[in-house]
Amino acid sequence: MKLRFWSLLPARLTGALLLGIPLAVIIAYSLLTRGDYGGVEQPWTLDNWARLADPLYLAIVWRSVWIAGVATLLCAAAGFPVALFIVRSGRWRNVWLQLVLLPFWTSFLIRTYAWIFILRDTGLVNTALTSLGLIHKPLPLLYNDGAVLAGLVYNYLPFFVLPLYATLEKLDTALPEAAADLGATPWRTLRRVTIPLSLPGIIAGSVLVFVPCLGAYLTPDLLGGGKTVMIGNLVQNQFTSARDWPFGSAVSMAVLMLSALSLAAFLRHRTARELL
Amino acid sequence: MLRDSQNRALSSRRTFLVAGGASTVACADRRPRLNVFNWSAYIDPAMIERFETERGVRIRYGTYESNEEMLARVMSGNSGWDVVFPTHSRLGPMATHGLLARLDHGRLPGLAGLDSRFQQPVWDSELHWAVPYMWNGTGVAYNSKLVAGVEAWSALWRDDLRGRMTMLDDPEDVLGVCLLKLGMPFSSVDERQLQAAKAEAIRQKQYLRAYLNADVRDQLVSGDVLAAELWSTTTAQAIAGNAALRFAWPTEGFPLYCDCAAILRESTRYELAHEFLEFLLQPDVAAANARVAVTATANRAGQSADPVLYPPGEVYARGFWPPALPPAAQRYRDRLWTEIKSA
Repeated sequence: MKLRFWSLLPARLTGALLLGIPLAVIIAYSLLTRGDYGGVEQPWTLDNWARLADPLYLAIVWRSVWIAGVATLLCAAAGFPVALFIVRSGRWRNVWLQLVLLPFWTSFLIRTYAWIFILRDTGLVNTALTSLGLIHKPLPLLYNDGAVLAGLVYNYLPFFVLPLYATLEKLDTALPEAAADLGATPWRTLRRVTIPLSLPGIIAGSVLVFVPCLGAYLTPDLLGGGKTVMIGNLVQNQFTSARDWPFGSAVSMAVLMLSALSLAAFLRHRTARELL
Repeated sequence: MLRDSQNRALSSRRTFLVAGGASTVACADRRPRLNVFNWSAYIDPAMIERFETERGVRIRYGTYESNEEMLARVMSGNSGWDVVFPTHSRLGPMATHGLLARLDHGRLPGLAGLDSRFQQPVWDSELHWAVPYMWNGTGVAYNSKLVAGVEAWSALWRDDLRGRMTMLDDPEDVLGVCLLKLGMPFSSVDERQLQAAKAEAIRQKQYLRAYLNADVRDQLVSGDVLAAELWSTTTAQAIAGNAALRFAWPTEGFPLYCDCAAILRESTRYELAHEFLEFLLQPDVAAANARVAVTATANRAGQSADPVLYPPGEVYARGFWPPALPPAAQRYRDRLWTEIKSA
C-alpha cells in the first residue's frame, strides 16, 4: 500500500504541476476582470462566462465544430484507403509508414506556409493549370474555407492513419477471406466486415483529428486569410489586440470542456478506449 | 554519524567545489550585461557588436513581433529586460502603470540630433519616457503597372480590384481606415460612428482577398495582390523586389507610428541603459540601423530621399499620431471586429 503510494507520487506530482496548476490559473483568470492594458484585476466576476452566451460567439463555436467535423470526415475518407493500402503492402509496409510520418520532421508552420505557395494565384496549382491551357484566370484557391480544410486535413491526416493502421494490422485476415469464400463481393466485404471490425481505429483517429482541429488557429489564420474566425482565433485575439485575458481564458475553458465532452462521447466505445 | 576530521575534509572539499564553480562562471563573462528587447529585424547587428566592444559590455538581445507580446512580458515588473521599444501610443499607459523609468537628459546629449518633429512629440512632449527611434505610416501599396489612380483609402473599395486587395489584420487600423473614408476621426470612440465604420468594413470585405499583415509583401511582389493597406516600411521592402510597386499616402489622412526606446523601471542598469540609448542617437549608428531595417529614422542624420519612407512636408501634414484608445472603446471595437470577421 505504502509502496504503491510512493511509486505513484512522481506521476501524481507531474500531473498536478503540468495539468492542475495551469488549469487552475486559467479558471481563476476567467473569473477575474480584465486589466486595461492586458493582465487581470480584481474583482471576481462571472461576466466573462456570461458573454459566451452571446449569439456572436455561439456562431463562432458552431462554425468551428462544423469545420472540425468536415475535416474529420475528409480525413476518414482519405485515411482509410491509405491505412488499408499500407497494411496490405507486405514488406514495403515500414517504408510507407515512414513516409506518412515524414512531414513531422518539418515544422507545422512551414508545412502550412507551403500550402500558401501551392494555392496562391501564382502558385503551383494555378501555374500548372494555366500552362496546360485548362484555365485562363487563376482559380481563387487560397483564403477560403476550402484552403482551411486542405490545411487541416493535410496536417492531421497522419493522426487518423496511424491508429487505424494499428487496428487493421491486427485484423484477422481469415475473416475477409471467409466473407469472400462465402460469395461476398470485395465492396460488400469492406462494408460489412473490414469497416465494422476497424471501428475502434476509426473512432480513435477521429478523436485525434477532431479535437485539435476544433482548437486550430494557425491554419485558419494563414490559409483563411483572417476572413473567418474559429474558436482558436477568438482566443488568440483576446490575448493580443483585444487585451482581454479573462474572456480569452473563459473561451479557452469552454473549448477545453467541449473537447473533453466530445472525447467522452467517443470513448464510450470500449475498444477505442483501449487504443487511445 | 561522521567523525570530526572527516566532516571537515568533506566540507572543505565542498567549499572548494563551490568556489571553483563560481570562478568558472565569473571567468566566462565578467562584463556587465544589458538586456535589450526590440522588434525583430529592427537594428543593424553590427551595431550591437560595436556597442559591446566599445563599452566592454555584453548585450542580451531579444525580439518580439507586437506591442502586446512585449507588454505581456514586461507587465509583471520583473521581466529581466532593461530597454524596450514600445510604439508611441503605448508609452502613456506604460508610464501610468509605473513600468517606465524617467529619462535623464543629462546623459543623453544626442537628443539634440533628433529631427525637429521628434524633439517635442505630441505623445511625450518633453521626452520624459522614451527616445524616438524609428517611425512609419499606414497607406496604400499598389502595383502601378496594373492599377492607376490610387490616391485615397476609397481605392480599397474599388470593384475592378475585387479579390486582388487586402487590408491589415488589425482592428484599430481597419476600423480607423473605414472611419477616415467616412470623414470621421481615426481614433473615434463614438458608438454611432463606429457602427457606421463596421458597416463599411463589412461592405468592403466582399472585395477583399484577405486580411494580411507582413505576409502580403510576397504577394504584392509576385503580382497576386494589386492593392493593399500596408505600412510604408514593408512597402519599401517590397519595392526592392518589384519596382512597379508604389505607395500612396492617402488623401483622407493616415496614421503614423513611432517606436521609441524606453528604459524599464525594473532595470538595475540605469546608467548602462542610458549609454545604449545615447549610442542609438549617434548619427552613424542611427543611419546604419535605418538602412538595415529599411525604415525611417527619427534622427536628422541618416534620412534618405525615399518618399515612401519620408513623405514630403505637405504630405506629412496629413498624417497624425493615434493616441492609445480608452479601454472601454477598445472593448467595444473588439466586439465590432469579431462581427466583421464573422460576417
